[in-house]
Amino acid sequence: MNDFGKNQNIVHKVCRIYTTNQDQHNDLFQEIAIQLWKNYSKFRGDSKFSTWMYRVALNTAISLYRKSTRTVKTQDFSDVGFKIESVDYDDTQDQQLKALYNAIRNLNDIDKALVFLYLEDKPYREIAETLGISEVNARVKMNRAKDKLKKILNP
Amino acid sequence: MDLSHYKKAWENQPEEKNKISDIEIYKMTQSKSISIVKWIFIIGILEFIVLNSVAFFVDLDAAHEEYSKIGLKNFIIYSEIIAHIIAAIFVIIFYLNYRSINTVESTKNLMSKILKTRKTVKLYVLFNLVYMFFFMIVVIISVVQTNLESLTSKQMILFVIGFAIFCLIVLVLVWLFYQLLYGILLRKLNKNYKSLSELEVK
Repeated sequence: MNDFGKNQNIVHKVCRIYTTNQDQHNDLFQEIAIQLWKNYSKFRGDSKFSTWMYRVALNTAISLYRKSTRTVKTQDFSDVGFKIESVDYDDTQDQQLKALYNAIRNLNDIDKALVFLYLEDKPYREIAETLGISEVNARVKMNRAKDKLKKILNP
Repeated sequence: MDLSHYKKAWENQPEEKNKISDIEIYKMTQSKSISIVKWIFIIGILEFIVLNSVAFFVDLDAAHEEYSKIGLKNFIIYSEIIAHIIAAIFVIIFYLNYRSINTVESTKNLMSKILKTRKTVKLYVLFNLVYMFFFMIVVIISVVQTNLESLTSKQMILFVIGFAIFCLIVLVLVWLFYQLLYGILLRKLNKNYKSLSELEVK
């Protein structure tokens, strides 16, 4: 499970798109940690640990996590305990990232997962496998999700 | 602006500042899960306990005596035994369902399993409602039969109607309670599952 510590950034990103405040972020992070721990014996090593983590993290966020995230629809990015403080970090990218997170939060759970896997550069085969749909369906759904995202980003 | 620009911003996002240490992560994993499946399981078990502990709060000896008077002694004993066996089987199924759910599967599979778990609980509730209904019907018929001579037909009709309305209200209330309970728990999940399934049907 030491790999979890190293790859925890993946889980933080999932928490950021599925929750709207720091408490919920921590709750979801903890639930994902429990699920990873519980299912670690089932990790067979035939895929990368990080790939396996994507699956468990998304499944927990979509299917198992109970707390409603609908109470606050959109919230400023800086309120969620995530601030960019790197000196050489480009300010436009900072703005874009904020806008992106806020836009993703307005998508439904499945679209969030699709867009997240797209942003993480996952191949369609893996996306389809993670969600349990065919590759063709994954492509169709992805295009729709991206369209929705674009509409939110460029109204 | 093109999505690829945003993707670049995504790729360049800095790592989480508040990294959680391995020890903290380990501590987290030792705490209780709050997952939806666990709630369904807990509600199922509570449901079983509540329904079965009613026997402890109601004076059953007196009730049994009444039942003997209207000639239902054997019916009560056998139906209770059968109901308890079926309830026990349900609890075993609850547990097996609960154990079989894990996050390693695909999202759609996982959701379908959770919804199946809910179906078991629903079936259990339905079984209880049907059993209650059946039980009430038998009692009404027996009461009417044993009091055939002492009651006027008007009294009889009033009694049957009154009892039927009472039964109906109880059953509807129980049913509403479950709709609300599981409705709240599973609304989001149901919607997500539909969203993943809709393309396959076309």
